[in-house]
Amino acid sequence: MKTFAHVNAGSVDEVTNLLAQNQGKAKINAGGTDLLGVLKHRILPEYPEMLINIKKITGLNIIEADEEWIRIGALTTLVEIVKSPLIEKTCSLLKEAARSVASPQIRNIATIGGNLCQDTRCWYYRYPDEIGGMIKCFRKGGKTCPAVAGENQYHAIMGAKKCFAVCPSDMAVALTALGAVCTLAGVKGVRTIAVEELYTPLGNVLSPDEMITAIHIPKPAPDAKQTFFKFTLRKPIDFAIVSAASIITIDKGICTDVRIVLGAVAPTPVRALKAEEFLKGKALSEEIADQAALLAMDGAKPLAKNAYKLEIAKTLVKRVVKDSVVTVNSLNDPV
Amino acid sequence: MTTTQNLSYATITLTVNGENHSFILGEGSHEVTPSHTLAHTLRERLGLTGTKVSCDDGACGCCTVQMDGKAVNSCLLLTVECEGKEITTIEGLGDPVTGTIDPLQKSFIDHTAFQCGFCTPGIIMSAKSLLTENPAPTRDEVKESLAGNFCRCNSHYHVLDAVMAVARKGGNK
Repeated sequence: MKTFAHVNAGSVDEVTNLLAQNQGKAKINAGGTDLLGVLKHRILPEYPEMLINIKKITGLNIIEADEEWIRIGALTTLVEIVKSPLIEKTCSLLKEAARSVASPQIRNIATIGGNLCQDTRCWYYRYPDEIGGMIKCFRKGGKTCPAVAGENQYHAIMGAKKCFAVCPSDMAVALTALGAVCTLAGVKGVRTIAVEELYTPLGNVLSPDEMITAIHIPKPAPDAKQTFFKFTLRKPIDFAIVSAASIITIDKGICTDVRIVLGAVAPTPVRALKAEEFLKGKALSEEIADQAALLAMDGAKPLAKNAYKLEIAKTLVKRVVKDSVVTVNSLNDPV
Repeated sequence: MTTTQNLSYATITLTVNGENHSFILGEGSHEVTPSHTLAHTLRERLGLTGTKVSCDDGACGCCTVQMDGKAVNSCLLLTVECEGKEITTIEGLGDPVTGTIDPLQKSFIDHTAFQCGFCTPGIIMSAKSLLTENPAPTRDEVKESLAGNFCRCNSHYHVLDAVMAVARKGGNK
């Protein structure tokens, strides 16, 4: 790996100041499980001159709750989320999503903030410099997206403009379903933004001097049914072909509140808004689930080789709806 | 206050297999640069070549070591960020004076749980981390904890048997 200056930051202010001073030439390193791969293969148009280690900042590795919110510090590792009794009790879908990420070794060091900020896995974007030179695609300031006319089986089926890479973060899908917001710190101060609005078709909305410091989840209704499904080719160490997260409240057989989010189908996590609207106020059944699945695919325009992802996405939507019904009914069954 | 490498990291000290090692940070041939991974330092600076580097990307698990008791990919950690950490490599399991080896290593031999053996140190370190945390895991728990280790010779079934044999001896089940 080509070398760089290395700084251990002691505070968030120090990080944001360093980021601002270096004008995009410094990178934050938390777990490093994504960034080190990016550096080793030199896939970025400009190799960073400085790495800022944020692991030594205190107070960013916590999971705590008050009456309304659950707060997770950006440096909380995925294994800590998987093992947290608080997360298991209140946000089971987040636990399932964290458990589905990569391998035990990676979950031991990868952080939730890093998972949200990880770079895309598009194989053109990630093409290693050492094998014939990195590819200057649209995302790197080039003129075209090689995936459009190339190998696009894992690319976006909706919502893409110019770059067809998908958002690889499982945490983003889970947190969008939970309606979470994150705190961003920058030189101009602190702002909060919904995880749902964290991504654009060309990456995240963080300005060059900003970092995520915490994630805040509004406490889900205790009776809401939470589900996270991730379709992958291999069980461990794989990114989603399609994932789906849902939180559904059913009152006396009628769906009163619902959020369904699809992952890896677009450059951002996608809320199935039409399906959500359709499901509200209905008694959930097999037919209703089928119709919701069709509505969730509204606006999809698959590329030459990824129409199969439509079928997987539809099936996952059907499953999250059916799963909620089954659980609720079985709870009401007399023992 | 900004603490740059030149001030606070003239040296990096980490504990490897119970011994303290200090490295000078710099570009010299015997020094450690900020871009050196832990796997590189273990192999090239300390000569602990039991830790293997295969994919160098966190996908194969061959470089697995324990950091403060947890299994980690040493190819995905920067040595400069391991200051003060306690690292255990495959060499740390046996006793070079008496020649004794860890029960897990013995079990791998007894069950012929490898063919070429390249992935074995990583698998043993992953399994060791599991058994330290959970001395009596189920077969599924062993599978889950070894999900980050890849064996191209397909010795996975023998590995499961080897780990389960130790788990039964050490556990309550």
